[in-house]
Amino acid sequence: MPYHKFKCSECIPEREKHAVTKGPGEDLTSCLPLGYLNTIPGTISERGCAYCGAKHVIGAPMKDVIHMSHGPVGCTYDTWQTKRYISDNDNFQLKYTYATDVKEKHIIFGAEKMLKQNIIEAFQAFPYIKRMSLYQTCATALIGDDIGAVAQEVMEEMPDVDIFVCNSPGFAGPSQSGGHHKINLAWLDQKVGTFEPEITSKYVINYVGDYNIQGDTEVMVDYFKRMGIQVLSCFTGNGSYDSLRGMHRGHLNVLECARSSEYICNELRVRYGIPRLDIEGFGFKPLSESLMKVAMFFGLEKEAQAIIDEEIARWKPELDWYAKRLQGKKVCLWPGGSKLWHWANVIHEEMGVEVVSVYTKFGHQGDMEKGIARCQEGALAIDDPNELEGIEAMKTLKPDIIFTGVRPGEVAKKLRVQYLNAHAYHNGPYKGFEGWVRFARDIYNALYSPIHQLSGLDISKDEIPTEVGFLTRQMISDVNINKEETTPIEERPYTGDYDCVTKLRGKTYPRSSEPLSDAV
Amino acid sequence: MEVSLEETQKDRVEQLVDYIMKWCLWQFHSRAWDRERQNEGILTKTRQLLCEEPVELETPADKCYWVDAVILARDFKATYPWLATMEKKDIKSLMQGLKERMDFLTITGSLNEELTDPKY
Amino acid sequence: MSCEIKEKERAGIINPIFTCQPAGAQYASIGIKDCLAVVHGGQGCVMFVRLLFAQHFKDNFDIASSSVHEDGAVFGAVHRVEEAVDVVLMRYPHVKVIPIITTCSTEVIGDDVDGVIRKLNQGLLKEKYADREVYLIPVHTPSFKGSQVTGYDVALEAFVQTLAKKDKPNGKLNLITGWVNPGDVTALKHLLSEMQVEATVLFEIESFDSPLMPDPDHSAVSHGSTTVEELIDTANALGTIALNKYEGGKAAHYLEKEFDIPTIIGPTPIGIRNTDTFLQNLKKMTGKPIPQSLVRERGIAIDALTDLVHMFFADKRVAIYGHPDLVIGLAEFCLDLEMKPVLLLLGDDNVTYQEDPRLKAFQENVDFEMQVICNSDLWELEDRIKNQGLELDLILGHSKGRFIAIDNNIPMVRVGFPTYDRAGLYRHPVVGYAGAIWLAEEMANTLFTDMEYKKNKEWILNVW
Repeated sequence: MPYHKFKCSECIPEREKHAVTKGPGEDLTSCLPLGYLNTIPGTISERGCAYCGAKHVIGAPMKDVIHMSHGPVGCTYDTWQTKRYISDNDNFQLKYTYATDVKEKHIIFGAEKMLKQNIIEAFQAFPYIKRMSLYQTCATALIGDDIGAVAQEVMEEMPDVDIFVCNSPGFAGPSQSGGHHKINLAWLDQKVGTFEPEITSKYVINYVGDYNIQGDTEVMVDYFKRMGIQVLSCFTGNGSYDSLRGMHRGHLNVLECARSSEYICNELRVRYGIPRLDIEGFGFKPLSESLMKVAMFFGLEKEAQAIIDEEIARWKPELDWYAKRLQGKKVCLWPGGSKLWHWANVIHEEMGVEVVSVYTKFGHQGDMEKGIARCQEGALAIDDPNELEGIEAMKTLKPDIIFTGVRPGEVAKKLRVQYLNAHAYHNGPYKGFEGWVRFARDIYNALYSPIHQLSGLDISKDEIPTEVGFLTRQMISDVNINKEETTPIEERPYTGDYDCVTKLRGKTYPRSSEPLSDAV
Repeated sequence: MEVSLEETQKDRVEQLVDYIMKWCLWQFHSRAWDRERQNEGILTKTRQLLCEEPVELETPADKCYWVDAVILARDFKATYPWLATMEKKDIKSLMQGLKERMDFLTITGSLNEELTDPKY
Repeated sequence: MSCEIKEKERAGIINPIFTCQPAGAQYASIGIKDCLAVVHGGQGCVMFVRLLFAQHFKDNFDIASSSVHEDGAVFGAVHRVEEAVDVVLMRYPHVKVIPIITTCSTEVIGDDVDGVIRKLNQGLLKEKYADREVYLIPVHTPSFKGSQVTGYDVALEAFVQTLAKKDKPNGKLNLITGWVNPGDVTALKHLLSEMQVEATVLFEIESFDSPLMPDPDHSAVSHGSTTVEELIDTANALGTIALNKYEGGKAAHYLEKEFDIPTIIGPTPIGIRNTDTFLQNLKKMTGKPIPQSLVRERGIAIDALTDLVHMFFADKRVAIYGHPDLVIGLAEFCLDLEMKPVLLLLGDDNVTYQEDPRLKAFQENVDFEMQVICNSDLWELEDRIKNQGLELDLILGHSKGRFIAIDNNIPMVRVGFPTYDRAGLYRHPVVGYAGAIWLAEEMANTLFTDMEYKKNKEWILNVW
């Protein structure tokens, strides 16, 4: 087994099997690190907790819901305004968060009574919101509060409200992934099948495992609607509570992030016979094929092809402009979960960058299988990396850029490695054809930043080019590009708007051409 | 240098495997029983499409395998021109080899310890 | 016309002003050089706090977790602390100080952190790290008590309790700054230096703002630089001034009680008047005169304020939320600026706020309707604006309340912690004469921009 040993982790033998190098001739039966095991204390791992995996990642993107955490205030505060999952109802779920504010007396005497009061007060404060998600935390799980019983009591007293209960305290699993699992199954068990949605098309899907980061979900839903498909629910980006109660009426579950939401798709297949189709919203080829697959399921090939042709004609010249300038740049692909596999191959194929390392903070071995299957030979794959390992890897691999979170990004900055936010994006959305160009543009802008170039100069000893008053990105990037020979005239940098999502809202779409009575 | 038929097939199977690994996700469901189902469903239909045989589309599950198979068959043909030169019986044998190899890589030879977890 | 002090009437919190105790303890811990705290609890209790610091400072801060998982929550997790301490010491050879910061989960399950520290001191540290100087500090910060504010206070007290040791008088002053920004420390150290007062600053956090160097090996890591020796030596100071009653007051009292160190608590030197008092306190404690340079500096500030107060600030209605000492200091300054701080929001259940003499002074003297809400959340502010007709000209507070300002078209100056939605604010002081200038001009410019966007007598600035 081609395990990679970090010098900084030699003293902790438990780390020995958590990193591998994908050498020549290696395949998944010889090259796979351990994964999703308990974290080694004190390593400065990047993992979060199961509460945040449930509430922050999956629960809270639901847009028309009071998201209340039952516990001390910190869990709530911490998982509020630290993500970019927007919504088309003026971002209600980003703006408001609710904590029951458990104090010592409640720990001693129980907190169920005050929980009930909290729920009622929250509904009173927002009389137009009738739905609530209630999240257990470490403290209230340990004192054994039965929050399900309290929720039931309130629902009986207030018949117009509906409450979802999620028991996923922070300690429930090695990482946030434990929370993904718990909330998937809790939603399925408690809520799916309790609401009959209006069916308006012959072609009905649930779009699952996308969280509308900077508008990703809305971009994808736009494509589906243009084909005449009804997107019954989005799990959970820009998703509405009642539509998600109606998931059982979907004809197909279209799944993006299998790590966070395969569980609900698997169970929907077993319990309701709805097939699971894994798709990808990133990259021209994967996206085109994904749209075509969904379309073919319903016999909508023509509609899909028209969209694909139109989008590629519009955006390909811009992707090509960037791709030409990103060739051979070295990338550490260090996201939390699904971008590991969604990006590992296609950024190489379509932008020409070299992926020298992949990692997953909270993923399982199955995620790493996908990541390793897709990344290039020679790449270093790390499970649950810790701070020192990340630094060691950057110093050894010398990437030009890393795709990771805010905080590790700051570590990279000091090593003079550029960073893009893989979770929340810099200037997303990154899904969709236009989004993919936006991603390429962000990479390009980071790599060819004049300030980044200046950061390498030591004014105390380096030769300083005093005759230069400025540089543009293109002056740096185009040194090796012979424009006449290699740049077709139509290639150009990004020409879209700063905000490419808001204009999708309120668009009108063709209705399914066939009578609804024929609906499946 | 003479290359045996067997070696040619092995080499071609590896090319097809590489394509699937790089571009597909259907082979990586999280449990062994799902991987068996997926490999069987999609690779069977891909073989049928490549051999221009009728493909069963009775159930939603069939359709779902089929859409992955259509795209895969199309990509295989576009990426590997040697496919067009092959006899149907050889394609069948090749696809059988591919199925066996995929089952080994993703199921029987997999190091993923969660594959046998009895629950989702 | 009066000032009413009352508690929020609702049981729960809608949009919190503070996070919980462990975050405050973590903020204190990063002020100490060669210190790497272990937070004993779930991983989120660290990961999100580190994210919060990174959001505010746009830099990374190292804090470790004991990563308590399900088994630990059921069977006890002190062994996770032992392992964490060992792993930290093995991999970070410079580390001397490891605060063990508890959380709600580990306090509820009753993990004996003091006991495990004794065990480690007698076992692991003697056996494996005999040649290393290592201090383990128990910090009890259950999340269901107090807030980030008390967490900071409790941690600082724990640090001096564990470390401070009587020795020869060092002739220095202990200056406990409270939860401030690097820019504040620069401003405070400037005042000390003008007064020629030698001080141990808790904490020296100017180095939170670290450079990106051409040679990555020389890029600094963002971390405080108060040494363990300085913390030990706090027992030998000629006096202690704790600027913030609620963030460092406990530690100051401990040093006073234990080592007879003369102590002055407060005031937070926000505004001219409080800075004057701070300088008088320095003079009283050290006998050093206030130099002409500070008279001049004060003059520059007064000059700047004179241009703004009656022309632009008079009668402007302000709401302020955040850390209690900060909010009270800002309110006092606003009053001196002729403004009306009509609503103050203090975000935790500390019952002693109501007894704070500074709040009592508001009660006795303000000549307009003013409210102070204790145990408040941000809904107390938003609900008043949206549903109860509260009219405001300005909001002073941290970034978590940004949507109140945005959605209600009220200009807002970001101040306090965190201020992640504005660039570089940690670099600017709110304390001292420099802070008075920065605050007043930031408020003025914010009001000016708002006048222009709303076309509200924007022409008035033509001839200003």
